[in-house]
Amino acid sequence: MIELHRVWKVFSVGPVKVPALSDVSFRVAKGEFVTLHGASGSGKTTLLRLLYREELPTEGQVDVLDVDVRSLRGSEVAELRRSIGVVFQDAKLLPGRTVYENVAFVLRVLGTPRREITPRVFDALRAVGLSSRAQAYPAQLSQGEAQRAALARAIARKPLILLADEPTGSLDETMAAEVIDIVKDIWAGGTTVLFATHQAILATALRQRTLTLMSGRLIKDEG
Amino acid sequence: MLGFLIGEALRDLRRAGRVAVAAILLITLSLAALGGFWLVSTNVGQAAARWRDRVRIIVYLKREPPPAEAQALVERVQAMAGVATVRYVSKGEALGTLKQVLGKDASVAEQLPTNPLPASLEVTLTADGATPDGARGLIAQLSALNEAEDIGGGIDWIERLARGKRLLEIIGLGVGAVLALAAILTVTTATTLVLHLRRQELEIMRLVGAPEVVVRLPLLLQGMLQGLLGAVMAIWVLIAAYALAGPRLEPLVSQTLGLERLAFLTPQTVVALMFAGTMLGGCGGWLARGRTDR
Repeated sequence: MIELHRVWKVFSVGPVKVPALSDVSFRVAKGEFVTLHGASGSGKTTLLRLLYREELPTEGQVDVLDVDVRSLRGSEVAELRRSIGVVFQDAKLLPGRTVYENVAFVLRVLGTPRREITPRVFDALRAVGLSSRAQAYPAQLSQGEAQRAALARAIARKPLILLADEPTGSLDETMAAEVIDIVKDIWAGGTTVLFATHQAILATALRQRTLTLMSGRLIKDEG
Repeated sequence: MLGFLIGEALRDLRRAGRVAVAAILLITLSLAALGGFWLVSTNVGQAAARWRDRVRIIVYLKREPPPAEAQALVERVQAMAGVATVRYVSKGEALGTLKQVLGKDASVAEQLPTNPLPASLEVTLTADGATPDGARGLIAQLSALNEAEDIGGGIDWIERLARGKRLLEIIGLGVGAVLALAAILTVTTATTLVLHLRRQELEIMRLVGAPEVVVRLPLLLQGMLQGLLGAVMAIWVLIAAYALAGPRLEPLVSQTLGLERLAFLTPQTVVALMFAGTMLGGCGGWLARGRTDR
C-alpha cells in the first residue's frame, strides 16, 4: 500500500543543503497501523508530506496505493489525495463554519450528492463522539473536540489511508487518549493508519509497529 | 455543485467587503462613461444622418443643354455610385430662385442684361456616398464630366462630421479603456484579498483532492458577479441621467443637432454593456485566480 525506497529529501536554504530525510526505506501493508516516532525535526512531517504528495522526494521512490507519486500530475495528485485523510496537530478547522459545515465542506467540494452529505457528516461525527456539537463553531470547542472534529472531517470521505501528524501533540492525557481511541476505531474499520508522534510513551502505549526517525534517518523498525 | 460554487462566490464577495464595493463602483464608473459616450455618439450619428440628407453637390454646367441632353446627363449621373437623387436646374430656374431669395430686391436681378447664372445639377448622396471617401470619389467622377464647369458643396461638412464622430468615439473608448483597466485591477485586488481570507479553505480543498475547477471557479464567478453588478448599476446611472437631463437638454439638442428627441441606448447596447461588465469582472477574477498556484 505504501512503499518508500531509498528516499532522500533535501531542502536548500540559500547555498546550504539541509537533509530532512536520508535514505529512508520501508513498506506499510494494507490495513496496518504504524506509529512514526521521532523528536521534533526528525523528519516525520516531511515524510507524511511526501505521502500525500505535498513534497517530492529529492531522490528515491515513494509509492502510495501502488502509484509512484513522482509521476503524478495535477488532477492525478487530487485523485490520490481523495484516498488519503490527513489530520494535523492544529486541527485546521475553518473558523467561520460550524463543526457540521466543516465536515460537510470537504464532501461538497468533492461533489458528494447533496442527499448523502447530512447522513455522512453525522456518521462521521458519531464516530468521533461529536454529534451533539454539530452546530458549534471551532472557537467554542476544546482542543480535544477540535481534534475530533478534524478526524471526523478526515474520515467522512472514507479514506483508504489516514495520516495523523502529531494529532495529540497539544492535548492533555485524557484528550489524547480519546483521540487515540478514535484513531484505533478508524483503523479497526480497515483504514491504514500512519500516526506520527514525538512522545515515546505514546508510541509504546500504542503497541503497534513503530518506525523511529532520528535526524532524518530511519533508525528502528520494530513491533 | 454549481449552486454550491455560486454560494461560495457570494460568500467570498461578502468577505471582500469594501474592496469588492470599490471594484463594483469602478466598473460602474467605467461602463457608465463608456455608455455615456456611446449615447452621445449615437445621437451625433443620428444628427449626422439627417445632415447627410441635406448635403448636396452642385455640378455647374458649361452651357445650358437642350432638354433631351439634360435628361440624358441626369440619367448618367444618377447611375454613378453614391448618388441618391439628381435634379437638373436650368438657368431660368436658377434665376427664379435667386429672385425669390432676394425678395423685395428682386428688381436688381431684372436689371441684368443677360442671365449670368449657369445651369446645374443638384446631386444628393446615399449613405455610402456621404462618407469622406465616397464623396471624394463621386466629386472626381463628376469633375470628369465634359459638361461640368465647376463642382461645389458638401464635402467639408461631411469631413467635419466624420471627424467629430470619430473624435467622440476615440475619447469614449480611451476613457472607457482607462477606467476598465482600473476596474480589472481593483477586481483582481478584491479577489486576491479573498484568496488571503480563504487560504485555509484553499489549503483544505487541495488537501482533500478537490478538483481544480472547484478551487478556482468561485474566484472567477466572484469577479463576474462584481462585473455584472457594476454593469447593472452603470445602466441604472445612465437611465437616471437620461431621465433627468434628457428633457432639459432637448431644446438645446434640437437647435444644435436638429434632433427632436435624444435617443437612449438600444436594448442590444444595454446587453453588450452588461456582457462587457461581466467580462471585465471575470478578467479580474481570472488574473487573481493565477495566484492560487502560489
